[in-house]
Amino acid sequence: MSGFLVLLVGAVFAGLCAASYFLVPKSWDQTLWRTCLIMTLVCMYLMWAVTYMAQLHPLIQPRRSDLRAEH
Amino acid sequence: MATLPAYKTSASGVKSSLFRSEEMTLIQLYIPTEIAKPTVSELGELGAVEFRDLNSETAAFHRTFVNEIKRLDEMERKLRFLTANIDKHEIPVQPSMDSYLSRRARSPQEIDEMDDVLSQHEYRVVQLNESYESLQRRLLELTEMRFVLRETSAFLQKATQHQDDIRHSIDNPDAPLLDLEQPRSAGPSLDLEGGSQPQNSLAGLNIGFVTGVIPRSRIATFERVLWRLLRGNLYMNHVEIDEPIVDPAMDEPVNKNVFVIFAHGTHILSKIRKISESMGATLYRVDEDNERRQETMIDVMTRLDELQTVLESTDTTRRTELINVAEHLSDWTVTVKKEKALFHSMNMFNYDSNRKCLIAEGWCPTLALPDVQSALRDATEQAGSNITSIMHQLKTSKQPPTFHRTNKFTSGFQSIINAYGIARYREVNPGLFTVISFPFLFAVMFGDFGHGILVSLAAGWLCWRERQIEKGGIDANVRTFFDGRYIMLLMGIFSIYTGFIYNDIFSLTMHIFPSGWKWPEEGRGGTQTLSAEQVGVYPIGIDPHWHGTENMLLFINSYKMKMSIIFGVIQMTFGIVLSFFNHRYFKKAVNIYCEFIPQIIFMMSIFGYLSLLIVYKWLVDWSATDENGEALYNSPPGLLNTLIFMFLSPGSIDPSLQLYPGQGLVQVVLVLVALICIPWMLLLKPFYLKREHQRTQQLGYANMTTTTTRISTDSLNSDHGGGAVVTTESESEEMHQDHDFEFGEVMMHQVIHTIEFCLGCISNTASYLRLWALSLAHAQLSDVLWTMIMKNCISMSDGMRPLAMFAGFSMWFTLTVCILLFMEGLSAFLHTLRLHWVEFDNKFYEATGKLFEPFSFERVLKEEEQ
Repeated sequence: MSGFLVLLVGAVFAGLCAASYFLVPKSWDQTLWRTCLIMTLVCMYLMWAVTYMAQLHPLIQPRRSDLRAEH
Repeated sequence: MATLPAYKTSASGVKSSLFRSEEMTLIQLYIPTEIAKPTVSELGELGAVEFRDLNSETAAFHRTFVNEIKRLDEMERKLRFLTANIDKHEIPVQPSMDSYLSRRARSPQEIDEMDDVLSQHEYRVVQLNESYESLQRRLLELTEMRFVLRETSAFLQKATQHQDDIRHSIDNPDAPLLDLEQPRSAGPSLDLEGGSQPQNSLAGLNIGFVTGVIPRSRIATFERVLWRLLRGNLYMNHVEIDEPIVDPAMDEPVNKNVFVIFAHGTHILSKIRKISESMGATLYRVDEDNERRQETMIDVMTRLDELQTVLESTDTTRRTELINVAEHLSDWTVTVKKEKALFHSMNMFNYDSNRKCLIAEGWCPTLALPDVQSALRDATEQAGSNITSIMHQLKTSKQPPTFHRTNKFTSGFQSIINAYGIARYREVNPGLFTVISFPFLFAVMFGDFGHGILVSLAAGWLCWRERQIEKGGIDANVRTFFDGRYIMLLMGIFSIYTGFIYNDIFSLTMHIFPSGWKWPEEGRGGTQTLSAEQVGVYPIGIDPHWHGTENMLLFINSYKMKMSIIFGVIQMTFGIVLSFFNHRYFKKAVNIYCEFIPQIIFMMSIFGYLSLLIVYKWLVDWSATDENGEALYNSPPGLLNTLIFMFLSPGSIDPSLQLYPGQGLVQVVLVLVALICIPWMLLLKPFYLKREHQRTQQLGYANMTTTTTRISTDSLNSDHGGGAVVTTESESEEMHQDHDFEFGEVMMHQVIHTIEFCLGCISNTASYLRLWALSLAHAQLSDVLWTMIMKNCISMSDGMRPLAMFAGFSMWFTLTVCILLFMEGLSAFLHTLRLHWVEFDNKFYEATGKLFEPFSFERVLKEEEQ
């Protein structure tokens, strides 16, 4: 596991952003649609990437003392 | 807010978007007087022109159409009177039909007719009301009289029988005037004397009485006052009237008592009368003679019957009258309001008496100019006139109003921004970006899959049923939620996503993907503390194995704090970048070189670097070893300390706290760059402006002011003849400000600006930590609710469980909705609001504009409603 996936997914999202920029039909709220789609994609990607990276090489491990045998 | 139709694309290719406010044009209209009203009415229906007040120095009561407005005010008063009456009688009002009829401007004759009709209706209703009221007062009197007669006859009869006892007590100076007990007990023994007295009259004893009716609530006070003032020289008796009596003056049922007061002497009697009247009692004369009382009673009864019939027929007539009115009421109201708005607008125009036309000036969105043209043409055609109105565009240096064309989806977001301030004309509008960034930052704080679904469902229902809800009328409390339904919908949807990432559904987890952690097999079931082993990375969201662990908060806090900083830095940087678009659009190159560039460098070299360090620290496997088994890296250093020591001891890095080789040098460079940015921001612009100013002064342009010449007519000057008078309107005032250069002021402004920015960068970044704090609070509260209620219910014994589950679930659900959705949602909303208004907007948003308020009937009518 490495940070490579983050870049890969980033590239996919960048592609989606580009697609949404070019594929939104021309209308008077074109700017609104483009902005909404791209910002949504960026926000979703950032949130995922930050969460993924934070767990990539964790400095602490989950610890508990109430484990049952079948858990 | 915006009522203009949506345009596909305009002829000139100018697109309308939320990014900048729409381009505006100052237009001048020459409207022939004959068709002035239909034309302005047509423009009011279109709602695309904001008229400028060309008579701002004229007082309101000196304007051209004052009399018309006064008359309409009077008509409005009549309408209000009729509406109040209709409401009182709960007669349904026919909704106004938005047909051609109500759209058309009314001719003066029609208004005259309407005024006549209104006056007649008002007169009739007033008459009917008056007669109804007087009849009712009469009815009240008669009813009370009836009660008085009925109740007093008992007293009076008793009193006549016992008059001798009374006499006895008067003869005895020690005895009280009246004793409630004594006469009865002494009655039989003194009966002999009673028989010997032939004249059985109270008058013989000079004892008179007062009868009347008083509200029951006052009876105790009344009795006490009488007792004190007359020193007990009276005998009073009162009886409750069973049914409440409706008082026409108060218009509500009042409980009343009938009273009889016996007293000695005319002086005292008149005193009693005065007191009674001042206490709000109504007095009725009752004859002491039994037979005459009977006669009066019969008389009263017949008159009561008659009165009832008359009252009923009056009421029916009034009702029919009001029903007639109700049929047209809303049409009339709409017409009067429109007419009034029309004349108010026309009062802002200049009047050219020579050419018989009105001259109007106003702002209009450039995109709507063709519509205004066609509206003018339509009005001329409909009026059947062959003189057309003329429109032409004016060049001006005045600041046009700001107009964002919004729809039902964006208007909520735009109003969030407008609440902070109206954008300067053509300034970058944060409203566009708020549409996504607002729900997203909200969701970062509110993240919970389950709560997100609940919010989305509620908001989605409001959006789905919006037509029906709007038609059915909304009360003020729901209004706020209804207006923000699309904001709520997006907030809910984003909360579902962030909740999924946080792996929180009502504080529980979803185990969808294979976990990245594995618990060791040995040592389970005991009291030993076990640590999991990493076997992978959970692909989307937080690993469910963190749930319920002892050190979960340690991990989650660090993750959420870092995430908050990263989001904050990105949003603020975005804000600074937007300021670049402003500077470029307004052609302020100096602001790009002296503000935007140093700002972005300053931001990046400190907080951009911090964000990079965060990501770098995540990406490095700090426990990695080389082939000899020796650690490649030292133990991971704290980022906060790294940032602090970057400033405290630049250049020197403790090897045990090093993140990467060459860190010292990089940090020295960054600190230096950041430090250079401060004087750059502070000094460059003022000195540049000073040099520019000196240069223009040397060239001799400093005192030049621009004057624009335009044709405009002044009604006061029209006496001169010769039609329009060419006046030059100096617009030097606004231009003058640019040339009025004072170095001290500019410097001061720049100092404040620089300090605000540099300190702001630090405090604003810290302020984004509220994302973490609120998110933590939300997750913890949700966890507490679950463990305290639902978990306890589930772990109950089998017999109790169904009941406990039912009670527990309803309690848990109510608390979830009240506390987590409403209270927590509100607080997350407010914090998001702050992040947008302060942290994001202050990077680029000047908000010094004026809102475009077009003359539109729709607005006029809507404002009246609210």
